[in-house]
Amino acid sequence: MLSSVFTNAQDDLLSMLGSDDKSMYISSTFKGKKVVNGQSVEVLSKGVLQFQIQHRFGTLNSGFYNLFGLDNSQIRLGFDYGIKDWMSIGIGRSSELKTIDASAKIRLKRQSKGSAIFPFTIVTNSAIFIKQYRWSETKEETFEFSNQLSFAHQLLVARKINRELSVQISPTFVHYNLVNYAEKNDRISLGFGARQKLIKRISVNAEYFMQINGKINNDVLSFGFDIETGGHVFQLHLSNSPAMIEPAFIHQTIGNWRDADIYFGFNISRVFTIKENK
Amino acid sequence: MVRQIISIFLFLICFSANAQQYLGEDGTITFFSKAPVEDISAINNKVSAVYDAKTKALVFQLNISDFIFPKSLMRTHFNENYLESDIYPKSTFVGKVTENKNGIAHVEGKLSIHGETNFINVAGNLLVHENTVYISAVKFIINLEDYKIKIPRIVMYNIAEEIEVKVNIKLKKQ
Repeated sequence: MLSSVFTNAQDDLLSMLGSDDKSMYISSTFKGKKVVNGQSVEVLSKGVLQFQIQHRFGTLNSGFYNLFGLDNSQIRLGFDYGIKDWMSIGIGRSSELKTIDASAKIRLKRQSKGSAIFPFTIVTNSAIFIKQYRWSETKEETFEFSNQLSFAHQLLVARKINRELSVQISPTFVHYNLVNYAEKNDRISLGFGARQKLIKRISVNAEYFMQINGKINNDVLSFGFDIETGGHVFQLHLSNSPAMIEPAFIHQTIGNWRDADIYFGFNISRVFTIKENK
Repeated sequence: MVRQIISIFLFLICFSANAQQYLGEDGTITFFSKAPVEDISAINNKVSAVYDAKTKALVFQLNISDFIFPKSLMRTHFNENYLESDIYPKSTFVGKVTENKNGIAHVEGKLSIHGETNFINVAGNLLVHENTVYISAVKFIINLEDYKIKIPRIVMYNIAEEIEVKVNIKLKKQ
């Protein structure tokens, strides 16, 4: 009886500390900074540099002659840097499209539980895309540098439903400075993404972008398989678009899943801590 | 019925015994892992503790997510994969001071991490001076295995099984 009296005293002391149930921020909604092709709500931490190689092959239906697409390949190299824990900038280049991209990702609000509950993590992503040109092209009458530009602005809203499942919705606005006669310059789409963790370090992801206006080409549907090891994240994909930048994969997808126009690809990303904490 | 009477009695005692309680909320706990490939250290500056000079009871509490690492990715993996702080957000120590002589105090009690609880016995300095209790020079080893913290084979040369923990905190009289 005396020991139970004493234990009660200790529990009372512990309860003196327990009342600070501050808000707990939800983290690691997705494993990587991209769901498959499109951006996820994950932002790099301050002082962290990420190097990413994105690699896309040809279509699986290219036949044995083309080794089912492996003969064909295009890549995007990208560097992203965390300026603050809630803001990162990036620069990259796609080989096939000969396009340079620069972007900024800003986290507005984190999902939280505890004393202050907020249901979503909300991040904006804005990017500019510059199609490279040859010096000889600039001599042409019709050449205007601004014609080489397109832009993308996205609002990424995600929710970590439980330890395994996260979902994201990405309303997207893409503006092309120069389009073909019948096309629209301003295009709106809605991205849907989800990830399901299978075991601690492996997840499967799915992503679909639904074009809302001015639709000419197919909508892009992609699946990914993420493996995380130490400082690397490996992502394996299947998609009906080989492009890795928003103006291309959302609105210029010619491939069709039904016709097996499926592109296999992979992303490898590695993080380096440039500025240590403390 | 008897328990209820005792609880009420204790409750009342709490008020009268308040004068002997010391509370601190920004103590520091660090841990260090030494392994062949790399050393890992982390620091938590938001440790809370209460000491009751009358009963000699000593309790500590911290949030796992308050540990700061030199590399942010370490913090992410620490919380998501190793300590699973979304399920086990806090770590606590509930114990008592068994001996305090010649500047060396011995404390024993239950340490809970990652949902597992183990009995530990630790030595350090616990000095009561005017209205402050100074706890320092506390150093002990914990085995990750005892707390079911799993290290995958791929990083077994990066993370040690035995982790050195140090505690420093000042408690003010309430």
